[in-house]
Amino acid sequence: MNDKYSIHAQNLHAGYGTIEIVKSVSCTFAPGTFTGIIGPNGSGKTTLLRTFSRVIPASGILLLDGKPVSDYTPAELGMALGFVPQDEGRPFPYTVMQVVLMARYARTSRFAALVPEDYARCHRALAETGVSHLADRSIRTLSGGEWQRVLIARSLAQDTKVLLLDEPTSHLDLSHQSDILTLMRRLAGSGSTIIGVFHDLNLAALYCDRLIMIQHGELVADGTPAQVLTPKKIREVYGADVVTSCHPATGRTFLMPIKTANGTNSAGKPLNVQVISGGGSGSDLLHFLSGKCLSLSLGILATTDTDYLTAQALDIPCVPVLPFSPIPAHALEKFKRMLSRADRIILSVHPVGTGNLPVIGALSEVDPARIIIHLPEGRDFSSYDYAKGAAAAAFENLCAAGAQCTTSYDGILQHLYPVAPETHE
Amino acid sequence: MTRTLPLTIVMIAAAVLTIVLCTFTGPAGFGIPSAGQGAADIVGGIRLPRVLAAFFVGASLAVAGAAMQALFKNPMADPYILGTSSGGALGASLAIVFLGGFFVPIFAWIGAVVAILIVWSIAGRRGVISVETLLLTGIAVSFFFSAIVSFLIAIAGQNVHQIIFWLMGGFWNASPSDAILSACILVPAGALLFFMGRDLNALSLGEETAAHLGIDATRARWAVLGGSTLLVAGAVSIAGCIGFIGLVTPHIVRMLMGPDNRVVIPACILAGGMLLVISDTLARTFFSDLPVGIITAFIGAPFFIWLIHQRGMAT
Repeated sequence: MNDKYSIHAQNLHAGYGTIEIVKSVSCTFAPGTFTGIIGPNGSGKTTLLRTFSRVIPASGILLLDGKPVSDYTPAELGMALGFVPQDEGRPFPYTVMQVVLMARYARTSRFAALVPEDYARCHRALAETGVSHLADRSIRTLSGGEWQRVLIARSLAQDTKVLLLDEPTSHLDLSHQSDILTLMRRLAGSGSTIIGVFHDLNLAALYCDRLIMIQHGELVADGTPAQVLTPKKIREVYGADVVTSCHPATGRTFLMPIKTANGTNSAGKPLNVQVISGGGSGSDLLHFLSGKCLSLSLGILATTDTDYLTAQALDIPCVPVLPFSPIPAHALEKFKRMLSRADRIILSVHPVGTGNLPVIGALSEVDPARIIIHLPEGRDFSSYDYAKGAAAAAFENLCAAGAQCTTSYDGILQHLYPVAPETHE
Repeated sequence: MTRTLPLTIVMIAAAVLTIVLCTFTGPAGFGIPSAGQGAADIVGGIRLPRVLAAFFVGASLAVAGAAMQALFKNPMADPYILGTSSGGALGASLAIVFLGGFFVPIFAWIGAVVAILIVWSIAGRRGVISVETLLLTGIAVSFFFSAIVSFLIAIAGQNVHQIIFWLMGGFWNASPSDAILSACILVPAGALLFFMGRDLNALSLGEETAAHLGIDATRARWAVLGGSTLLVAGAVSIAGCIGFIGLVTPHIVRMLMGPDNRVVIPACILAGGMLLVISDTLARTFFSDLPVGIITAFIGAPFFIWLIHQRGMAT
């Protein structure tokens, strides 16, 4: 009835004994797609995958290629659907080839021997996952990553249209992760239906066309990685704070666990800290400060500045201005109001030209005791001066007037909390 | 793979040779005893059935051991260690005490089935079975059934000798009908397990894996349990409890020929048969007909300890 989908699940319920793990899941998987199933620990991702492969009995409708999965004979199922477990016990010293050849059992009568084509298919599968050189090794001598690639090779040798993978890269190093997932993309590209459970959200976002998010056994989000991996959704489902952004190299959604700024301090009002930076000098500093229960603000910054992107990602208020144009008066006014509210002002020394010199100039109106100047180790003010000495002079004047100067982040912390210099992560 | 065929030929030759040599070996030394009707009777009427019965029983235990090891995903499994033999002995004892010795094989089979179902339901249900759980469950079941057997001995009265025979394990009274009975069980059950070789291979990686590879895992599991308990029951009803053949033989076979059960099962038939025939010949020739179970335990127990030691080194 639903021939265009490889897997069509409707109102699927499954569990172990009386405990229901998968609750009312409805979704479809089309040929030629690579879908990632994500969700926190214990949310039922693996159980859902095993429900698809029929090893866990389920109620509801489950169609495989338009036909109820319960109508398949075991051998038919072995030819239609492959499954890669996260790990598998290895009590007996089979050779790698012997294990991979088991993929061909479903296609051969028990009274017949495997034919050369079976061996050829298995050798090709070993080559595809890069384990040809292990063909004659005992599986008991393999590392976890090698064994995982053998298990993937075995499922490839089954020649199925649908491939289910339970955290296929959990034991793999960086380069093998990308090899295997690129291979999966290629298989999807040639018409296979690939469904994988993923722990690493960035890997899932990078390689999957579509993500399905599971929480407490229920489907809570379904869509492209960009649609599913929003900071809001991640906070709801994983209870973790992340920032999302577009990866510059791949253009794909990319996220990073982070404590966002402006958390409140239970001991009272957080310290108001104004950070002045530019040209990327503040990105790392903002990240460092963002976990420290400070009320941060930032400015003035051009919208093309890396620091501006950081501020957006970390949700830090900022005074933005257009790039390559003089700072408008209203922006400077707003900036000065922020300065007057700030308990502390951190000036991260950055390249200053005539365009942004007014920003530094505004600091001369502030009590220098509130100013902390961060100058990276081994640099001097003049190397940041692009205003024919005016910028360097402005920095020097602030120091002379009594601003605190430091070369390290720890130094900044000590000036922020002069009484109790203990730091909490 | 390439050395499977020559090894098989060598093993078949060795098995035939073992049967012949052991038939002509006895307390009187090697060779055909000095001519006469009595001598022919000894060789043809007593020794040959005994050697054949020992061969078939050894083969049955070894095949059952190999199949159980695959099913339990555990190379430490064995009919004796898992309590299957004790279950069989209990069934046999019940038949002896209450039915005067009739239906011994059937009761032995029921006892073996009950024992393995108990072990399976406790230790084998889901996921990886740890060696500890498996062995402890087997030992517990074994002890429990042995306690019932001891109770039966206490109340058995005149049948006490017959029961003690089961516990020791031996071929003193092996008759031609024993040899035929054991062959009648070994041939179909051995063939079943032989043709399930690839199911056993897949099952030894886990039932779910087997299902994902297109094996009817549930049916295969019951077939393997049924076939192997049948073999154990046949062996127990003929020779009582003989330990360690089912453990040691598959290990030796895997060392020689690899772990593929399509090779291991037939090789176990030959190797298990040979091992028990040789053990029994040693027992009756050099130890004034000591129960062969004592000999196999003498060889098997140290081997078992060595295996545990090897595993400890490996992990």
